[in-house]
Amino acid sequence: MRLIASLLLLAVPILGVYTFMTAADHDWWFPPAYSTFAPDIDWLFDFIMYMVAFTFIVTEVALAWFVFKYSAKRNDKGVFTHGSHKLEMIWTAIPAVALLVIAFTQMETFAKIKFASGFPTQGRFTREKPIAQVWASQFDWRTRYPGDDGVLGTVDDLEASYEFVVPVNEDIVFELRSRDVIHSWFVPEFRLKQDALPGHTIPVWFNATKEGSYDLVCAELCGWGHYKMSGRVRVVSAQEFDAYQADLKAKWFSNGKE
Amino acid sequence: MRIRPCLYALAAAALLGAGCQLDLASEPADPVVHYSLSPTTTALDEAGEPLLPLAEQDHIAGSLTMLFGTPANPRFLRTAEWVDDEFDPNWPTYAADDNGGGEFSEDELAAIKADNERDFRRELALIEAGRYEDVVLPSWMPDLRSKWAAHLASKPADARDAEFQGEAKALLVDFYPTLRDSAELYRQQCLHCHGVEGGGDGPTAPFLNPKPRDYRAGVFKFTSMKDKSTPRREDLYRILDEGVTGTAMPSFRRFSQAELHGLVDYVRLLSMRGMVERDLVNTYLNEEALSMEAVLESFSAVWDKWGKAAEKHTQFDGAVPAPSKESIERGRTLFMDAATGNCFSCHGAEGRGDGASAFTKHPETGETIPAYKDDWGNEILPRNLRQGIFRGGRRPIDIYYRIKNGINGTPMPAAVSTMSDDDIWALVHYVGSLSEAPRVRPSSHSKSNADH
Repeated sequence: MRLIASLLLLAVPILGVYTFMTAADHDWWFPPAYSTFAPDIDWLFDFIMYMVAFTFIVTEVALAWFVFKYSAKRNDKGVFTHGSHKLEMIWTAIPAVALLVIAFTQMETFAKIKFASGFPTQGRFTREKPIAQVWASQFDWRTRYPGDDGVLGTVDDLEASYEFVVPVNEDIVFELRSRDVIHSWFVPEFRLKQDALPGHTIPVWFNATKEGSYDLVCAELCGWGHYKMSGRVRVVSAQEFDAYQADLKAKWFSNGKE
Repeated sequence: MRIRPCLYALAAAALLGAGCQLDLASEPADPVVHYSLSPTTTALDEAGEPLLPLAEQDHIAGSLTMLFGTPANPRFLRTAEWVDDEFDPNWPTYAADDNGGGEFSEDELAAIKADNERDFRRELALIEAGRYEDVVLPSWMPDLRSKWAAHLASKPADARDAEFQGEAKALLVDFYPTLRDSAELYRQQCLHCHGVEGGGDGPTAPFLNPKPRDYRAGVFKFTSMKDKSTPRREDLYRILDEGVTGTAMPSFRRFSQAELHGLVDYVRLLSMRGMVERDLVNTYLNEEALSMEAVLESFSAVWDKWGKAAEKHTQFDGAVPAPSKESIERGRTLFMDAATGNCFSCHGAEGRGDGASAFTKHPETGETIPAYKDDWGNEILPRNLRQGIFRGGRRPIDIYYRIKNGINGTPMPAAVSTMSDDDIWALVHYVGSLSEAPRVRPSSHSKSNADH
């Protein structure tokens, strides 16, 4: 009986590890990483996951062993202990150190993506001259490009609904805004997620490494239509981006004949 | 003894597993939906009696089913005249193929096909690989699914048979939804706001402000049509494609062009159904008999109205002029001129939507309340032009349409006939300039924030 019970417990880590190892084959794992900092994020994810996996396996095996070794039938008398000061010190210190290690390891990556100091300063798009403003509202995404004068918020701004088109292999800085409630701009392929707060203008940057069209989803429950708040980020070549801007401009100043 | 808890646990796990299996395997059955009569048809008079006798209400409901079908099988009645003319109102694209009388140009049909190829690229690749069984078509394409199943049933022994493969591909590339397909997509995406009959009374409608559109009057706000005409196909398509900024109507561009055109077809059907219903009620209230002739006459009158919509389209031929200091200044003068623009009386001198005539005093409490209601009975305020949110679109041509034609169903009137196109463009430029808010560059010193 004790053997069955401990084997059942042992099945948990074995099945868990098996699931993780075969997840990629079933398409249960992350989508491919297509931004410059995505590999760093994935490395951090793996780092933390292996750390947690190691702890998980050790504790599960210990649990199974304890169930086997200390079954009530064989050990009918319990031993009373008032606790061990030393043991408590150890199991407090080890997680504390582990958390500090995680905190310090991720700091550089986090700063690179989110801090003002990490924002690109070279190239076409910077914090001073963002590529566009992306507006989140219940329940869609709209992009506002600065148009010919290069200044956002003027009458020649070009607007596009649903799609946000950016050039590939270029640092992209855009401003995220919300018209109503808190939304979150999330493109899984870029490993980038940023909340949009009403009243705030939040700069966001990324550098997409592969042309394609990626799902843009809202990652903050924003109301009854949250599930349908979708868009696309389309990454194109620099030439295609310029052609897109010209096309958008032509459509914007169309005389309605289309 | 100790084996019992284990057995319980195992049994519970097995039950749980079986439960999950069942849930995953079976999709919930489609609820049965019916078209109901609109509240104006079933209204009661002051004595609490129905305005229309119940027998007449049944008559109207029956006539509408004859003309427009049911939600599970919506279709237009093909009148004898149409049969003679070989015109099928249910097939906007096929009509174009057969005798050129359809609603799509060659270019538009080509664009729909190209979009289908993109939308079905996964399925087309599976067909190419001969893996027909792996093709799963969306649940909102019941007719296409049954066609697909029928095609698979005729599969030859050789899975790579070129003819069979070509036909399978053509099914998807040439896809244009039937009204039944579109009604299914409508049920999944639109119904929860716009309601079964398009009355703007779906289950989520009470939570929304502004309210979802009620199509049944045939009145659509954001069109390019003059004289409060019913919209063109392009106007409705644009709303689906772009969404309506500042409202809960999102862009539905994630669906293919064919699917969106199909939704336009279905919205048109719902709108025509509502218009015929209204027409029949009025016929009865005018003490005319609801004969078969009257019903068919109303049906073709409504069809004519929609069919002739294109004639009411506001055509602007030149290039859209660019704003200049002068045109903006001229627009401001017109905006403030009571004889021409007279915009300020509602939109306010600064365009904040706070003009004097937009408000009135409540007769009893003396509170300031909106002076106007729209055609759907909602209190309505003039747009605050300083926010840069233009529901019908922020493009210059959109604002041009709004000023030139007014907004259907609202107190916003069409421009007076003395206004020239140049005047209207000047107003467009002025209105556009009101929401200008050139972006302030983020300061590199956080200190400057403290100065304020």
